[in-house]
Amino acid sequence: MTLKSLSGSKAHLAALVGVTFLAGTSLWGSHAVAAGGEGAPAKGGTLVYLEQQPHTNLYPPAGGFYPNGGILNQITDKLTYQNPKTLEIEPWIAESWTVNADATEYTFKIRTGVTFSDGTPLDAAAVAKNYDTFGRGNKDLKLPISEVINNYDRSEVIDPQTVKFYFKKPSPGFLQGTSVIGSGLVSLKTLALPYEALGDATKIIGSGPFVVASETLGRELTLKARPEYNWGPAKLEHQGRAYLDEIKYIVTPEDSVRIGALLAGQADVIRQIQAYDEKQVEDEGYLIYAPSTRGVNNSVVFRPDNPLVADVKVRRALLHATNTEEIVATLFSTNYPKATSIIAKTASGYVDLSPKLSYDIAKAKQLLDEAGWKVGANGRRQKDGQTLELSAYESLPQPQNKETLQLVAQQWEKVGVKLNVLTADSGSATINNLDPAKAPVSPAMVGRADPDVIKSQYYPTNRNVLLQKGGNSDKVQSFVDERLNGLLDQLASEPDRSKRLAVAGEVQNYVVDQAYAIPIFEEPQAFAAAPYVKNVSFEAVGRPSFYSTWLAPRR
Amino acid sequence: MSRYVIGRIGQAALVLWAAFTVSFILLQALPGDAILIKFLNPELGLGPEQIADIRASYGADSPLVVQYFHTAANFLTGQFGYSIHAGVPVGDLILANLPQTLWLSTLGFLLSVVLAVALAALSALSPFLWLRSFIQSIPALFISTPVFWLGILLIQIFSFQLKLIPIINPGPWQGLILPVMTLAVPISAPLAQILMRNIDHVLTEPFVAVARAKGASHRWVLWKHVAKNAVLPTLTIGGILFGELLAGAVVTEAVFGLNGLGGLTQRSVNDQDIAVLQAIVVFSATAFVLINLTVDLLYPVFDPRLRVRQGAVA
Repeated sequence: MTLKSLSGSKAHLAALVGVTFLAGTSLWGSHAVAAGGEGAPAKGGTLVYLEQQPHTNLYPPAGGFYPNGGILNQITDKLTYQNPKTLEIEPWIAESWTVNADATEYTFKIRTGVTFSDGTPLDAAAVAKNYDTFGRGNKDLKLPISEVINNYDRSEVIDPQTVKFYFKKPSPGFLQGTSVIGSGLVSLKTLALPYEALGDATKIIGSGPFVVASETLGRELTLKARPEYNWGPAKLEHQGRAYLDEIKYIVTPEDSVRIGALLAGQADVIRQIQAYDEKQVEDEGYLIYAPSTRGVNNSVVFRPDNPLVADVKVRRALLHATNTEEIVATLFSTNYPKATSIIAKTASGYVDLSPKLSYDIAKAKQLLDEAGWKVGANGRRQKDGQTLELSAYESLPQPQNKETLQLVAQQWEKVGVKLNVLTADSGSATINNLDPAKAPVSPAMVGRADPDVIKSQYYPTNRNVLLQKGGNSDKVQSFVDERLNGLLDQLASEPDRSKRLAVAGEVQNYVVDQAYAIPIFEEPQAFAAAPYVKNVSFEAVGRPSFYSTWLAPRR
Repeated sequence: MSRYVIGRIGQAALVLWAAFTVSFILLQALPGDAILIKFLNPELGLGPEQIADIRASYGADSPLVVQYFHTAANFLTGQFGYSIHAGVPVGDLILANLPQTLWLSTLGFLLSVVLAVALAALSALSPFLWLRSFIQSIPALFISTPVFWLGILLIQIFSFQLKLIPIINPGPWQGLILPVMTLAVPISAPLAQILMRNIDHVLTEPFVAVARAKGASHRWVLWKHVAKNAVLPTLTIGGILFGELLAGAVVTEAVFGLNGLGGLTQRSVNDQDIAVLQAIVVFSATAFVLINLTVDLLYPVFDPRLRVRQGAVA
């Protein structure tokens, strides 16, 4: 079976099951796309994994940064695991759990015999300490609160193997939140360290199948398998220790060097491969893995605080002036599906909004005319002596973001609107991007396989991509959308599953009706691997897992 | 003597203090700061109050004067703080990057000298004019070769095609071969040009004509008279180029995925990781000051005139 047909059927399956939403959904579809998988797994060997960037802080809630997640996923375990095939949340470190009716109390029974790699037990007390830290932060140690845990109040250790969590308000996304990379469990020694000391990977003591053996800062990291590891997810076919002996992460920033090294047999798996390089790799018989990040799609968002885009007609005009089809076909591959809503097809609660996202240049022109923006002498739209000229900062982590924005700029040019695509160092870009006057348009995306992700993206006190007042930007004058925020609040605290999904649908419709965002494509994480690397799997937002990976003899 | 020593050491300390203070002021004047950039990063999804708390816990909002003395006191006791972005002590970061940079630049410089001398010698000894002008045009080719392209080309040929040197997991010396070659080519170009020009210049000097008239061979004249006179200006420019190498290997480091101070500096500027930048500035200033101080203190040892003068003053 080819990889593509496999991932296609997975997406289909995921979409089907998405309808019967499972309380907090992680680990959808793509995963275990083993090419062949023939024969019994071979034990031993070192997997050489080329990373594009060095990891930064490895405090588990900071696992969102791709290089961090790629390491944390091997060295930490989570309370729960979501089976990629059935999409159910399954036992892992927690043997079982109960949730009360309004999702304000969660009780977990912890598996016995689990230890962190420093020898300390992973028991109820350790779990409680982890979640108290993730859910409330720690001011003295400067540890920030985890983004995936909403409305956390406190923990209670009932007995050595039982822990109970209380929430101030319903927190229906919590169960899924216990399965994500950002909720990796670490030993008390790690939790006692200040935030600024957690960039040293050797200090991150987890209970995972691999342990950090050595590190050369910014250059190399070696993980070794834990021989006594015997607490993988209970329903997983593979039990016991990992097949690999070792994983070597080597930071190799240059794209062509990573690909060349893979094809020359010097590396086994590489992260981050651009769409235009995929063909070369596939032609040589190597494999591309492009697991979806399953969250809010790669989009262009508006900052309505800027008067130029305050009028919904202008935003809607630009939405219809954007030819997503052309962007995907020109710059990307089939691994980058065209967006049909603000969240991915495989995300829970997805509704198909393609009719509202049509490319319609006549409609765009008409809307701009209606809004009072007339074509001036130079072909640009003008109103009251002002030109409709907007700016956006390139986002470095997103694939071919500059090219994408430049293509959008060309498309908008056809209706007389100018978009300046600006480049800056990541520091200045971060600051300027928080100012609606400087960045009325912005690229945006975020991955997490739970409807809470929509709140994360748009809510003023979370990522606040629309730049509402009261959020992370002090440059906003007045823009607030109470209706949107109300819907997002409801989304994060509605305990009833079907009602919660209905709210998710409502938010997607609302954001598109208001044309706050123009969804472009569903963003994958793209990897390439040698054909003898078997059973590479990926978690919900595309981070690799090498627990069941093995190396077949090279042909 | 002792007064001379104390005076020089005092000057050195003053230079260091100035470097620290000026860099502190300049770095504080940057529009953002590392804490903001790190924690505003959407990957953490933090709210404004949480960010304010974190800023407060780092003392980022305390008055600049307080921060200045705090940082200065820490530096004096050898505490360079933490890199906000990487989450490790700044001292560790510098230690992880410095040896590689020193090896890379030293070997790169040595190879470039060898290349330059070889080119100059070939050009001076070549019996045909066409060959001579061809060799003399090589530096222009070298200097216009993009380092990035050269690095990739060397990797493609020697590592991927010929499979002679692995680029991933090389031995400690193996790993230096290609990057050193990449660095040496552009650096050798100005060296070779100056060397060639000086050889040509010295060859027109009257004493060469005299030596020739006495029956000396071309080779002998070159070796005995010209080389000595042409090398001095080359050394001067070589010193400047070596300084450039220490910081300028950023592209080479990126292509070969090497650690190095150049790349560290570039990343830290990007993330406005002030603690790291401040440490790099102070570190470089210290190295510079120490080298100069050593040279100054050695002068009296080598130059008796200085000794006498100092003795008279003291």
